[in-house]
Amino acid sequence: MGYLQPVTVGRAVEALGLAAVVSAELGGEISGAQVSDLLSYVMAEGKRGQVWITIQTHPNIVAVAGLAGMHAIFIAGGFEPEPETVARAEEEEIGLFISAETSYTLAGRLYELGVR
Amino acid sequence: MRELSLHILDIARNSIEAGATALQVSIVEHQDTDALELIVRDNGRGMDEDSLRHATDAFYTTRETRKVGLGLPLLKATCERCEGALDIRSKPGEGTEVRATMRLTHLDRPPLGDMGKVVQALACEAERTSLRYRHQTNGKRFEIDTRDLQKELGNVPVTDPRVLCWLAEFVRNGILSTGSKA
Repeated sequence: MGYLQPVTVGRAVEALGLAAVVSAELGGEISGAQVSDLLSYVMAEGKRGQVWITIQTHPNIVAVAGLAGMHAIFIAGGFEPEPETVARAEEEEIGLFISAETSYTLAGRLYELGVR
Repeated sequence: MRELSLHILDIARNSIEAGATALQVSIVEHQDTDALELIVRDNGRGMDEDSLRHATDAFYTTRETRKVGLGLPLLKATCERCEGALDIRSKPGEGTEVRATMRLTHLDRPPLGDMGKVVQALACEAERTSLRYRHQTNGKRFEIDTRDLQKELGNVPVTDPRVLCWLAEFVRNGILSTGSKA
């Protein structure tokens, strides 16, 4: 205890039981996370290497994640990304994963996993 | 953006950067038809058809060294989420008009925010770009134009800090006097 192993996107996806839509950046180490549905907020606060938990599905989420240099987007609440969002994530090589759990639950599990 | 006023500031900054000498910002609340309209019009250099087509495409703007940023794509998404639309008209050499509409009482509509502060920020550029701000709620209208204001002020510039402080408060009170619910 005490020392926390770095958490990769792949490990988080497995531990949180996420379904892969775009399996990119699986080996990327997660440096932190954002939980927000306001894109402009993530544009300002998102950091390189983070993952983003949101219920937004619009293609703009990929542009914002790409701009901030984030590894992946976790779409919570059982929402499915639009086809263009998927195509953009493939192009930009940003991981896109979905879950029926709430943003709250996903964030809690990610924190438990050691992401700070 | 958490408030619509920040979107307006962002779009108005595009106008100033496009070399506009005159900028008009209008906010119209139609409480009877439950609609909110935000209009930013300028006489800047305008956009050609290709730029106009891509103005609301977040990916195009991110790749082209972000000349206009993500402002328009994000505003468009906000409008559509609130049962409205974003309409942009532009002619090279003539100017651009951005018109954003949304349902006034839509639950996800961001609050208007502090337009006093936005008018104050834009008035800092009054020597280069004049600003006419209009706020209308149903039939009741509040309007201010930095050119008229400058005439009244005489030798004191609109950009004087004392004037700018007064202006923000004047705009806030003006908006309230129309019965705004935005």
